[in-house]
Amino acid sequence: MAEHSEAPGRLAAIIADPGSAPHDSSVTHVTGKSEYVDDRPMVKGELHCGLVYSPYAHARVRRLDIAPALAVPGVVCAVTAADVAHNAWGTIFQDQPIIAAAEVNFVGEVVAVVAAETKEALAKGLTEVVVEWEKLPAIRTVAEAVAAKSFIGSERTIATGDAVAALARSPHRVAGTLEIGGADHFYLESQAAVVYPREDGQLEVHSSTQHPTETQHVVAEACGVRFSDVVCIAKRLGGGFGGKESQAAPIAAYAALVAKQTGRAARLVLSKDDDMIITGKRNPFRIEYQCGFDADGRIIALDAMLHADGGAYADLSTAIMERAMLHCDNAYFIPNMRVRGQVCRTNFHPHTAFRGFGGPKGVALIESVIEDIARVVDRDALDVRVLNCYGPGQDMTPYGQRVEDNHLPELFATLTERCAYRARRAEIAAWNADRARNPDGHSRGLSLTAVKFGISFTTRFLNQGNALVNLHRDGTVQVSTGAVEMGQGVNARIAAIVAEQFGLPTGSVRIMPTSTEKNANTSPTAASTGTDINGAAALQACETICARLSALAIRLRSIPPESWAKKTAGLGTMPEIAVGSGVSPRGTDEQRVEFRNGVVTVTDRSGSVFTVGFAELVREAYLNRISVSEYAHYSIPDLGFDKLTGKGRAFLYFTQGVAASEVELDRDTGEVKVRRVDILMDMGRPVNHALDMGQVMGGFVQGMGWLTTEHLVYDGNGKLLSHSPSTYKIPSVQDTPRVFNADLIFNHGNSVNVRGSKASGEPPLLLSISVWTAVRDAIMSARSSDASVSSGQHAQLVPLAIPATAERVLRGLSPQMFAAWDARDMQVANGGQQ
Amino acid sequence: MRNYALIHVNGVRREIRGREALMMLAEWLRKEAGLSGTKIVCAEGDCGACTVLRAFPRPGAAFAAGVAFEYEAMNSCIATVAQMDGAHIVTVEGMQSGSELSPAQDAMRACHASQCGYCTPGFVMALSGMLEKHAQADERTAMNYLTGNLCRCTGYAPIIQAALTVRATEKHSVALRYSDMFAVAESIATTEQSMRVQHDGVELFAPATLREAVTFAAIHPGFRVIGAATDLGVQVNKGKPMPTALLSLHLVPELYETKVTRGGATFGARVTLAQVRRVSEDVAPEFARFLNLFASPQIKNVATLVGNIANASPIGDTLPFLLIAGGTVHVAGRPGGKGPIRKRTIAMTDLYVGYKQLALEPGEIITHVSFQRTPSREVLRLCKVSQRKDLDISAVSGAFAVTLSAGRRGKSAPCVASARIAYGGVAATPVRMPDAEQALCGELTPARIESVAELIAGSIAPISDVRGSGAYRRVTAANIFRRFGNEVLRG
Repeated sequence: MAEHSEAPGRLAAIIADPGSAPHDSSVTHVTGKSEYVDDRPMVKGELHCGLVYSPYAHARVRRLDIAPALAVPGVVCAVTAADVAHNAWGTIFQDQPIIAAAEVNFVGEVVAVVAAETKEALAKGLTEVVVEWEKLPAIRTVAEAVAAKSFIGSERTIATGDAVAALARSPHRVAGTLEIGGADHFYLESQAAVVYPREDGQLEVHSSTQHPTETQHVVAEACGVRFSDVVCIAKRLGGGFGGKESQAAPIAAYAALVAKQTGRAARLVLSKDDDMIITGKRNPFRIEYQCGFDADGRIIALDAMLHADGGAYADLSTAIMERAMLHCDNAYFIPNMRVRGQVCRTNFHPHTAFRGFGGPKGVALIESVIEDIARVVDRDALDVRVLNCYGPGQDMTPYGQRVEDNHLPELFATLTERCAYRARRAEIAAWNADRARNPDGHSRGLSLTAVKFGISFTTRFLNQGNALVNLHRDGTVQVSTGAVEMGQGVNARIAAIVAEQFGLPTGSVRIMPTSTEKNANTSPTAASTGTDINGAAALQACETICARLSALAIRLRSIPPESWAKKTAGLGTMPEIAVGSGVSPRGTDEQRVEFRNGVVTVTDRSGSVFTVGFAELVREAYLNRISVSEYAHYSIPDLGFDKLTGKGRAFLYFTQGVAASEVELDRDTGEVKVRRVDILMDMGRPVNHALDMGQVMGGFVQGMGWLTTEHLVYDGNGKLLSHSPSTYKIPSVQDTPRVFNADLIFNHGNSVNVRGSKASGEPPLLLSISVWTAVRDAIMSARSSDASVSSGQHAQLVPLAIPATAERVLRGLSPQMFAAWDARDMQVANGGQQ
Repeated sequence: MRNYALIHVNGVRREIRGREALMMLAEWLRKEAGLSGTKIVCAEGDCGACTVLRAFPRPGAAFAAGVAFEYEAMNSCIATVAQMDGAHIVTVEGMQSGSELSPAQDAMRACHASQCGYCTPGFVMALSGMLEKHAQADERTAMNYLTGNLCRCTGYAPIIQAALTVRATEKHSVALRYSDMFAVAESIATTEQSMRVQHDGVELFAPATLREAVTFAAIHPGFRVIGAATDLGVQVNKGKPMPTALLSLHLVPELYETKVTRGGATFGARVTLAQVRRVSEDVAPEFARFLNLFASPQIKNVATLVGNIANASPIGDTLPFLLIAGGTVHVAGRPGGKGPIRKRTIAMTDLYVGYKQLALEPGEIITHVSFQRTPSREVLRLCKVSQRKDLDISAVSGAFAVTLSAGRRGKSAPCVASARIAYGGVAATPVRMPDAEQALCGELTPARIESVAELIAGSIAPISDVRGSGAYRRVTAANIFRRFGNEVLRG
């Protein structure tokens, strides 16, 4: 509500050390010169494509007639299911048609692609396609899916100990159901692809995709050409967040089908509305749980049944469910656990990856359960968290992987101190009760939660990457990997790794557009692993080149400069230098080689030094016919998670962190104001501090949106109503926490990952759960101080669905205000139906 | 009759005709002018990615040497090129001087305020618009200037830091760089002539006089006035056909008038919300404060108060205020397109006759709006309930005003002599609530506040929609009244 807005507080100490290299595209970003798919100039004859999609959640296509569309002047072609060579795709199960034929299973499912010479003709053509639908009954909730046994994949379990027996003997128990809504990615650049037909049936695809390899494959299969006939290029994305991991592929295929059929370039750029209606979201979940604990609040057992709304097709939902199950422990040791998961098939857009990939559901569950435990045993929730936190003697996860390099206890202790948690807790209680300072009876809440996010794809074969490193004779470097730059700064990180290896300024290293002709069989840039696997591959390639250059430098030391190849190679007067194995990237025991500041230095045991410029050394290598390029392949070692038993080493390491959030709820409107956030994370030894901080603060605010204001509202037909920013509210600048502190601890102990760094993409998002638990804390505080409502211990446990919209918050605060009106509205609605 | 729109883009003069003139500016910049730095994301003016700067010479303004334009941020995705007739536009491509970044660009780069980069040109232009007015912004100012831009990557913290650290320099002042005196003079001279652009059955007419305007309205029964197009442009972008007869009033000098008297203020149809907000700081301070939460700077810089009235949305944010502040619209028409112009006034309380229906005769247009100066003894509060605090469409909005009987002394309860209450978002039109007003008069006690709150909740029948359930609207409508009542009670 409008009044009482406080002056925004100071944004304390936000940005990282000024020495961090800026994002590699920072200058082209601020000047508007960064090129995205739809910024490519139209070529002669290029066609605009548009989609005809289902207005019904479930329907039979009785008749589809494209002839009237083709009659529109300027319309050049219309593609239907009959034109698709292999009309099935899917990352895990190939259960989704690229273009639906006889039946559609969600609002937004594509039945035809129209292509025209102008946008005006396209708009006309799209309305001229005739479709006769026969509406069929739809499954619109998890409950309906369960009742109909409409599932994707089978039920899976991760268990340890005997949860059922342990629950039975637990002195205290809480039980409940947690409803978690989806969220739209709201990447600013909507899905887009341009396809150029090239000679001899080849297709050059420019796609806003996180997974160029899968896009290449889906395009090839849809068009009936070989994988080798398709090159997919992703220069940069205007945001991805998981939404372009799988779902970019069919978009590219639509444009490719038009390009193939017409022999003309074809462009498909979705409007934000179409993008939001057609593409899948973060999976909604419904979790039923029981937790047993002792009088101190120590967790004895957790039993949970997770149902995910998978939407109409499998997409990545079974993997997302797996990660949700693997994160139900989060930072806490649970000796007896049984977590079961089942993905439901419903008639919504196929839900998909979104930053956190299921992890946030598991974490929301356990963090919320801990708030319940604290209320029951009458302790501060932070004490219950610290009591249950992984640590010495309680470091085994329910899936049998030990928590190593564990910094959680230190993170809890440090942040508790730094954010003055105890003092603020007391102050908040005092403020809530003080009508002089709080005349409108608002309610403040505080919560400190943690994250322990497993890094690696849980599917082992995805944990591989490759890189191509080319040195040029002016001493500059081009690097190509499978990593896709979507704002997270993977290019800048890889450039920093490569530059450090060669002792060059980062400006000497250029990361080239991601392309399947240079890096094939790549994994999606996802699961926070972009830098881990691609940076490690690049590093490996650099080391191989450095070894050759080191060997060459050692040999050059003993050759007078006038006899070097630069003077003699043209005439062939000197024998060529050949370098064999036996020299490491850092030289030999006798001759240490260092690459620094653009100079290569060879130091022998006596301390005598020989130097050669980096560029000159590269030229000598070339003239001696020594390769200055390298391709390397990297795979994450020691992974072994058995999906059927639910046991094994699922992750290479964990990224950990804690956050404390303080909120204020408007007693009259339910509006949530985030007053202060403090974050502390362990990112190992960051490759680029500023980029990591960008991921921390950006991920946190993005998560806040999912937890509070971002509300996906569907009509009775299963059509999304909140499909644009006027109705779907992502956080705006005014929603940023009034006080927002973030910091990293120094941890040089993560030896298993590239350069001792840790992945930063997803983990910070899960810390925003502290905002939601703080909202719930504020609601429960208000309710327990309201004598007319509270009666008995468990009455104060108020469920709060995600997102905690203003309406849900107000209903939580003042359920009695709604009761009469809800009953009356229900009567009116029923009356209307009769 | 001039058949082209005259615009300057980054200092380059362009005459735009026909099809191109009826394109949206952002689309035209990207696809026809080759300036793809301007991004289109939502195509509804809600994300700011398409932000450009615009300076517009007031028609009829006498040209003075050295006159500097005022460059202000606007959304280029929902305005046609034709509406930019006479304007000077600067895009992100126009900000660099040679290879040197502008202060806004450099601050965004240095603060790591750009990740994926797609929102960045819009933020750069929003900040550049801020620097035209504030060489150095405090935090509140900076935040207000950034309210119209969405970013999904950064969490805004580094962008706020950029806004707080950036300093304007004379060298990079857009007004100084792009105010070529000959170009300004030509724009002013050109916009003294009426303009008509046409394409594919759509005609956009921009008359230079009110007489021509009402004549056009009289003989084109389906005409639509195109103001800032902040609603019409959205509807067209989302697939509705462009109305075939569009009337743009941007060349009519008298519609830019603002008149302030001891009794109140009158604004012409072309006066923007940003200008109304400035004037209201004196005339109706609560309205000025409320306008801070209304829409984004990009919208307020082009959208008009009359536009908000004419659009007649039940959730038009200014309407509850106008309903309780003696709002009056001035309309003009010329029946049959002949004879003298006929002018009359309509009270705001009589203006709305149904969902999006106005009590206007065919061919009448709204030329001005007036409202009263807030009396010093009146307590006036405007409230808005929305999912997100800023830049969100209201679920419910309320306007409350009471005058207390003089002579309250000591501990006696205040006595309400007169009350006015209006709501948006609770019916098909914004509504006054006379029963509640009457019930509020008399001695103000907690019991009276409660009974009026219940009366309000019970006498409305709001719908359930994407912004909230009917019950939520009832409860919050009552709650915002309660809060107002308690505030008055506390004094």
